[in-house]
Amino acid sequence: MTAVAAKPAAGGAMNPTAMVVGLVLLVIILGICWKVSPGLGLMALIGMVVGGVLIGFGTHFVPVGGAPAAMGQAPGIATGVAMLAAGAGLAGLFGGAWAAEQGLVVAVVTGAIGGGLMMAITCMMVNFIYVFGMGIPAASGKVKVDPITGDTQPEFKSQGTEGHGLPFVSFVGGVIGGILAGGGGTLIYLMLLDLYKATLPTLMKATEAQIMPVAISAAGIFAVGMFLVNAVLTAYNITGTIEGPHDPKFKRWPRAVVASAVASALCGLAAILIVVV
Amino acid sequence: MESIVFGIGITALTGALATVAGAAEDTESNIGSQGDPNSQVQLAPQMGYLHRIFNKAIAGEPPAYGLWCALGAGLAWAFMAMQLNAVLAIVLGCVLAVFVQGVYSTTAYLGRTASLKKFGQPVFVDILKSMTTVTMAHAFIAIFCTVTLCYLMNAALGHPFPLPLLGLLWGIALGAAGSAVGNPYYGKERQYQNQKFGAGVPIAQSGNIVRYAEAGERNSLDNGFFTAKLGGPASGVCFGLIVFLELWRTILFEKIGAGWGAIIVGILIILIFTIIDRSIEVWARKTYGPYAVPTKEASS
Repeated sequence: MTAVAAKPAAGGAMNPTAMVVGLVLLVIILGICWKVSPGLGLMALIGMVVGGVLIGFGTHFVPVGGAPAAMGQAPGIATGVAMLAAGAGLAGLFGGAWAAEQGLVVAVVTGAIGGGLMMAITCMMVNFIYVFGMGIPAASGKVKVDPITGDTQPEFKSQGTEGHGLPFVSFVGGVIGGILAGGGGTLIYLMLLDLYKATLPTLMKATEAQIMPVAISAAGIFAVGMFLVNAVLTAYNITGTIEGPHDPKFKRWPRAVVASAVASALCGLAAILIVVV
Repeated sequence: MESIVFGIGITALTGALATVAGAAEDTESNIGSQGDPNSQVQLAPQMGYLHRIFNKAIAGEPPAYGLWCALGAGLAWAFMAMQLNAVLAIVLGCVLAVFVQGVYSTTAYLGRTASLKKFGQPVFVDILKSMTTVTMAHAFIAIFCTVTLCYLMNAALGHPFPLPLLGLLWGIALGAAGSAVGNPYYGKERQYQNQKFGAGVPIAQSGNIVRYAEAGERNSLDNGFFTAKLGGPASGVCFGLIVFLELWRTILFEKIGAGWGAIIVGILIILIFTIIDRSIEVWARKTYGPYAVPTKEASS
């Protein structure tokens, strides 16, 4: 069985009505923003929606095994979906915020690489502890052959388990997830920072240098909050554990992308309204 | 040049602090069963296995450490704004954050264990008294090291984020790294020490955790003693590498190519870790071998 041939698990079916309602909500929120702040505000909101979608989509790549992984009963990293994605994405946001002065593209890519780096180190150390601490090789429970390396998987699953550790495809998925989440979080931060830098001096009757600490803090807090909103939404979509891009649950991503877009638009609108109304 | 040397020195110091923080965080969470293996501690009495293991898991490690580190950093920041010496401010902030951790641990243990009353699981007051203080001590080390490295990032390296926000970010990252690396070692290797080495725990054995030590009943201090030998240090190395390499690539290579130097070095580091990971995976497959004879269907 390949990832392409795999059928979505129960609960993975798309609901076209809900998707359409979500898209209509997104258009309405964008319309409200266009009405109150047609230039900078709308651009910032679109950037935040793109950032939120990157986080929501990227979280699907992160291999998370939850409690079963902690007992070597299932593959993946032994923690929660939202928490791991948040850890990686926020480490990326740290780097991206540092590079903010070097322009949008460099800062977003720096944030993405920061998230990817955090996941690469974590995934490597997870396999290290499984192999050298517990004597257990990596094995997937969802595919018979690793789609990247071609390694066979079932004979490396120990009896009575669904697999364990991180097969190479899960490692790659983790790094991709960290890259998308780190880039998305940084994009949200930069969009808000630009907006606050432009609007706060007038609002607070102060110079740009004086409002910078407030702008950076507010943008950072909103970026962290929106990051957690999107990561938790995706965790609900995944329902528990996921092995990575080869897992049948990965096919649920369109649902999370629409939900993330709507949630990011709503949160982003609130972040914009505090300075433009 | 001097600023680069200064930056590298601070980077090395933050890396060392992060390593200690990661090790202390994992040991603290293992003594308190706060990682994913808490499910087994909670499940055991329901399967008829009463125990004396501490269980304070009412939140995952990342949000819990996000809270405590943000609290420690926020209070330290407030004390510094009151013109208190930075070292004293950080220590006081972390002490107050640890009191919150102590209250959290106490209420979490009482709440989680009281919910198992119908399965006959007692609330052990001596466990509450002896374990809570030990987790508080480990939590202080983890929070203090994390807040200090956040302070160094902000004050010495010039990161734009304020101290409380850095505390939140790195607290969540600390919990994520510690739970990812440390949980399997505590869950599989310690709680299920009675199962075969070199294999996952069969699902049918869930809840049958080890409850007896060499003398008397096992408690969570025994678990902390065990995991501090490998799971804790490995978590520390993981978090230390994350912090050190993230800062190192920025400090040394950010000026090259208008920021692209740090990005390229970051990509190279990711590739190096990818190669190491693949080597570990291949080594394990060759050295340990399969559990069963490969089937024709599986290899096709």
